[in-house]
Amino acid sequence: MTLIKVPVTLPQSAYDPDRPISSLLKMQVEHLYQAEKRLPPRYQSGTYVNAIRTEGEAARYIRDVTEAIHEAHEDAERIRRTPKRKRVMEIAAVVDERAERERARRMTKKRSSSKRRSKS
Amino acid sequence: MPTGLDQLQHIVVLMMENRSFDHMLGSLPGIGGLDDAGAYTNPDTNGNPVRPQPLAEFQAQLQPDPDHHFPAVDLQIFGGNTGPNRQPNMQGFVKSFFNQQGDVGHSQKIMYYFPKEKLPVLTTLAQQFAVFNRWFASIPGPTICNRAFAHYGTSFGRVDLNPIYPPEHIKSIYTRLINATPKHTAKIYYYDTASSTMEVANLLQNQPELFGTYGQFLDDCKRGNLPEYSFIEPNYSDHETDSGEEIANDQHPDHHVQAGELFIATIYQAIKDNPQLWQNTALLITYDEHGGIFDHVPPPSCVKDIFTADGNATGTGVPFQFDRLGVRVPSVLVSPWIPRGTIVSRVFDHASIPATITKFFLGDAAPRSPREINADVFIEPRTANVDPARNVLSLTAMRTDCPDFDV
Repeated sequence: MTLIKVPVTLPQSAYDPDRPISSLLKMQVEHLYQAEKRLPPRYQSGTYVNAIRTEGEAARYIRDVTEAIHEAHEDAERIRRTPKRKRVMEIAAVVDERAERERARRMTKKRSSSKRRSKS
Repeated sequence: MPTGLDQLQHIVVLMMENRSFDHMLGSLPGIGGLDDAGAYTNPDTNGNPVRPQPLAEFQAQLQPDPDHHFPAVDLQIFGGNTGPNRQPNMQGFVKSFFNQQGDVGHSQKIMYYFPKEKLPVLTTLAQQFAVFNRWFASIPGPTICNRAFAHYGTSFGRVDLNPIYPPEHIKSIYTRLINATPKHTAKIYYYDTASSTMEVANLLQNQPELFGTYGQFLDDCKRGNLPEYSFIEPNYSDHETDSGEEIANDQHPDHHVQAGELFIATIYQAIKDNPQLWQNTALLITYDEHGGIFDHVPPPSCVKDIFTADGNATGTGVPFQFDRLGVRVPSVLVSPWIPRGTIVSRVFDHASIPATITKFFLGDAAPRSPREINADVFIEPRTANVDPARNVLSLTAMRTDCPDFDV
């Protein structure tokens, strides 16, 4: 089997996070900015995207928003997966509150009717 | 049923950035590269013919980034002819590059290509496995819409870099797979969160669970956990991480081309180093578009899509009905079931990717765009009668002479 050598060490000049941002990366930043605007404020990065000038700056923003999108979805999934038992208890509590309000309303109505009968 | 097809369980697609077929593979003999080009030249702005030369450098040569937006590619393909019934002549690359800096000498560099010794990984794979010498970008334009063809089989009428919000009825290949009955598996591996994906507006925003990282891809290869369909995106930027510097490896100018060679080799080796995975995986390496760099083969016309880009959207004043492909790009298919030196000369574009994956795993799932429905497939579906003339995974026994890369 042939073993092909691949250069694994690149010149130091190959790496340049201060390289001016390309039109492609600019567009990716713009797409992520549009996506970020739909996130609730607690997930937003607070970055002024118009000030992004370099690949490194773009990468930081891209990372922040990508991770925020993942986090927002994971949080939503976590809420969706809230155990059914807890949900049932919450529904039961709501039903109890409603029943109590209805009882109170009927009592109030009853008292008002008996007051009117006694006056007349 | 050919054994290679019968065994196939995983298809992996790696889509690199912005290099043309002649620029990367043109030096290889007998595959429809530059030995096939005759006396092909491009005129510079003084009218002098500029011929292709093996002088491409890994970095710091194609600056500024050669224009690859729709109007520029129109010039590159048609040489400046805007009349009706015009035919592509591939004569506008030098003129187009001149428009960016106004320097005649500099503009000629767009005709440089790599001698094969400088690209040992891609050229070895092209010679050892199957090279497609008629794989074109899906549209004569930039990245986002070409990548959309790989995900959806269409760009929904877009020819630019703006976000794409697909209508409901045409699903991505990933959604088709995971929503099928029985369910199939699919993943997009981006390099890391700082590089992320180019598919933001729909897939990342709405289905982030489809995504994993390159690190996970390597781990999935090791553990044999690859999904049935994987799409890999390279690193689009030089950036710092907690574990050090990450160098862009997408080969988009002006990123270092050797970084991309190393990336391709590492992916190949990750699959090959797991013997079980190696025998049941096919890896397609392709490029989204030509990046404004020369190629001598005129792109053919194709079936129209159902969408049209109007004259304002194209920037040329003339509408585009997605009835012509973009410039030729390098595309190589790797599998130990492919005979060495296979050359495939049928026409493909990136719509062939969802077309292939759909037909292989799902059959004829609808609805799909006319472009995808009419796109050729690079792996034959598993049917009772596989056409041997079309099947690339044709060996009856797995090769044992495939190369290894020292990465």
